[in-house]
Amino acid sequence: MKKLITTIFTITLLLIVNPVNSHVGSPGVIFEGEAGKYKIMVNVNPPDVIPGTANVQIYTTSEGIEKILLRPIYWYTGDKGSPRAEEALLLKDTPGQYQGEVWMMENGAASIEVKIIGENGEGTVLVPIMAVSTAQKEMEPTLGWILAGLGIFLVILMITIIGNSVSDATVAPGEVKANLKRKKRIGMAVATVILALILYGGMNWWNLWAERYQRFMFKPFQANSSIKDTESGKKMIFQIDSSYLKTRPNSLSFKYMIPDHGKLIHMFLIREGSLDAFAHVHPTRVDSLTFELNLPPLPNGKYFVFADIVRGQGFHETIADTLEITEQEVKFQLASNKEIPTWQPSDTDDTYIISNPVLPEQTMLATSNIVTCGKPGIKTPLPDGSSAIWENDGESLQANRLYPMTFSIFDPDGEPAELEPYMGMMGHAVVMKHDGSVYIHLHPVGNYSSATQDLIQRRISGDEGMPRKFPPAEQFKDSVDQVIAGIQAMSEKDRNDYLMELMGHNRETIQGEGEHEGHSVVTFPYAFPEPGNYRIWIQMKRNGKVLNTAFDAVVTE
Amino acid sequence: MDLSINSPEATLKKSHSKAIAGNLGIPLFIYATAIASLSIIIGLIWDISWHTSVGRDGLLSPPHLFIYLGAVISGFFSGYQVLKTSFWGSREEKDKSVKFWGVFYGSLGGLFCIWGCFAMLTSAPFDDWWHNTYGLDVTILSPPHTVLALGMFMVQFGAMISVLALQNQEAPSHLTEKQKKLRNIILRGIFIFTAGIFLAMLFTISSEYQGRHDMHSVSFYIVGAIIYPLFLSTVACASKLKWAATYTAGVYMLILMLMVWILPLFPAEPLLGPIRNFITHYNAFEFPLLMVIPALAIDFIMQRKGHINNWLLALIIGPLFLAIHIAVQWPMGNFLMTPLAQTWVFGQESWYFGADPDWQYRFAFADWMESSGWELVKGLLIAAVIAILSTRLGLKWGTWMKNIKR
Repeated sequence: MKKLITTIFTITLLLIVNPVNSHVGSPGVIFEGEAGKYKIMVNVNPPDVIPGTANVQIYTTSEGIEKILLRPIYWYTGDKGSPRAEEALLLKDTPGQYQGEVWMMENGAASIEVKIIGENGEGTVLVPIMAVSTAQKEMEPTLGWILAGLGIFLVILMITIIGNSVSDATVAPGEVKANLKRKKRIGMAVATVILALILYGGMNWWNLWAERYQRFMFKPFQANSSIKDTESGKKMIFQIDSSYLKTRPNSLSFKYMIPDHGKLIHMFLIREGSLDAFAHVHPTRVDSLTFELNLPPLPNGKYFVFADIVRGQGFHETIADTLEITEQEVKFQLASNKEIPTWQPSDTDDTYIISNPVLPEQTMLATSNIVTCGKPGIKTPLPDGSSAIWENDGESLQANRLYPMTFSIFDPDGEPAELEPYMGMMGHAVVMKHDGSVYIHLHPVGNYSSATQDLIQRRISGDEGMPRKFPPAEQFKDSVDQVIAGIQAMSEKDRNDYLMELMGHNRETIQGEGEHEGHSVVTFPYAFPEPGNYRIWIQMKRNGKVLNTAFDAVVTE
Repeated sequence: MDLSINSPEATLKKSHSKAIAGNLGIPLFIYATAIASLSIIIGLIWDISWHTSVGRDGLLSPPHLFIYLGAVISGFFSGYQVLKTSFWGSREEKDKSVKFWGVFYGSLGGLFCIWGCFAMLTSAPFDDWWHNTYGLDVTILSPPHTVLALGMFMVQFGAMISVLALQNQEAPSHLTEKQKKLRNIILRGIFIFTAGIFLAMLFTISSEYQGRHDMHSVSFYIVGAIIYPLFLSTVACASKLKWAATYTAGVYMLILMLMVWILPLFPAEPLLGPIRNFITHYNAFEFPLLMVIPALAIDFIMQRKGHINNWLLALIIGPLFLAIHIAVQWPMGNFLMTPLAQTWVFGQESWYFGADPDWQYRFAFADWMESSGWELVKGLLIAAVIAILSTRLGLKWGTWMKNIKR
């Protein structure tokens, strides 16, 4: 009985998780909200090598700020173990924009404390980040040549020194000694051999160092996606590669996966190259490493697969893979062909959209309900007759600058639309660079993990001690399955209310104020990590139906 | 109005003092390299203290500046000496130098200093790249730090060799007996000074195995047997002073003790999380090993038995040194764990800011730290053999150094 209570308690605690910064190539963590009476957006770029420095940008429209202080807080040592805060400095040419650096010394769950001091008192927020080494760098050729040159100089000089040490240097001025030249030559030869051995040893040592770094470097999980024909249609099988046990031996078992917005996996399938087919699906668990779903009727082609998962301690990550869809029965060849595929979604929240390809020269898929992608600042019609506009005052988008990315939705009459929560949030967005090197799943409050924020907050207040011991894996897994089944069995309204409550929201606050200005606007704060061409898919809900749309954006340096 | 700058008296005084310095035949670069050597060891110990107290540093932190200042001083003065002798030097000056690469003339010590300077300067961009690639440093020994350490060793060795060459040359004939005596005292003093710094450097580099928690473990004595008999017998052999090893050990102890006493007087605050030990002042570096006691034995034997076969000499000095070293450091290890040692004089309350101050073995030996039984006997026998070999090598090295004349 005690075991059962512990399990239920732990799972309830873990369900509060709102981990939304699963990503590929987009490491920045964004927070939008209020610190005391100050409205701020924070963009944290964690270091790619640990130990290293995190770059923090703060944007605010609030007046009367005297200073902004930044501090790293590790879950393990709490705020008492953190050094004194560093000041973020106001950038000269951009009013309301501050920038600072925070040193992150150890791997693990951490957060950046942002403290605002000003006329309206003090306000503090915690932005959770994961401190992990992800980068593997090569030496730039210029530095390489300079160091090689100096190295060669040092080797030659040392050979010279040793040669002279055993010959000329031992002779007093005017003194004559026999065999000096021979001694010098032997000395130089011995020195050459010794130096070669030292250099060889040094090289091996360097390699060992690099290997050790590799071992501790963050390695994403791998998976294999495949398609299986069954009586009920095509099924996609998503098999997580168990070899992670070798590369990440201390990793928490997949049996400790926990649901995010009521789903164990949020998976996105995006057609490679043209990005004209997009699906947001939620595979169901077959066993701890195998998941399956009824494959949506997507056109043939190669697909990017991104699966966002969360495990027990709130570590959220993306498993990336590809999938080849062939011999799909649904015919997309003719625009007039209105054949409706007999697709039975394995999860009621599974959706897909077909849109125009990213490049004009790519062939448009022939299907009746094509979504035409919008551009920043231009009103775009949506399939149900409503329209969306990416609020943008004509400025071009730049990499590494934080944008609110605000979308206003209008109903068919041109009036602001009445949006409803979709899986407990007012909107879901996926940002992807055309080549697939950047992918991120965003929600309106930014992309930080509220679970980690909550845990560290409780650690600071002294309520939380050392990590809670997890119940046995099988027991945990079964309980999570039961919780998910329970959520699935709820009516849609109950489900949304339940999910929102878990995240500390209620329908009134989420729809009315704070993160959304009214019911028709949805904002996804985001900083594009690198220049390039991006497509952004937005998913919202209106009149009980999921509204899918997409926008294209060009991001410059 | 001050006219004294150009007054005949002032000019006369100036040229007179220059004549005295010049007459002693000790070039300026000798003093410069000795100061460079000191600057490096101060910078290095301060830097370690900085890492255990403040944590965050950059390429141009004050301790790094001390270290690089040492590199620049030694490189500049030695480089100047080489260029001056090569292109503007007299025949006599060239005869006292080593010729290399066809055109250059310089002292051997100067060449070591130049090598050290370049190695140290090379390590800076290398280390910077290393931090960006593998993370900011948390260890003393990494490849770029090794390049830096080799550079530091060479600068300090160069300082020793430079002064030794002068000591081994005939004093200039125009010197009076009194001047010759003064010259000898200065040269021998500088040699001991630079040798003491070199010993401090050896200790610092191996300090990961030389702390109070290591003093009951065989690894402490094996590392000690590799380093100390080698270096102290070298010095005893090369110097013309009677108690050279003892003085050298004394200089090493004095430098380390001064660093223990001075650094904690200054405020310091950890700037990196996570912080477990909250300190307000610098942590001291290690209290020195009581090296003068075993060093006395080396000098004593060298005086009594210096003439015998070097292998026999090594057979006596090596085990004797080790025995005294154990007899001194083993109880010293116990003492350093007591509250008496947790004072300003011994600085043992110093504790890395990231380490748990309530660790149960902060002032105690854990089982795994102490060698005992057969492991201890075997380890000490190995250490004794190493001490013999290292003494023998030291005597060889010292004999070579005694012969350096340029």
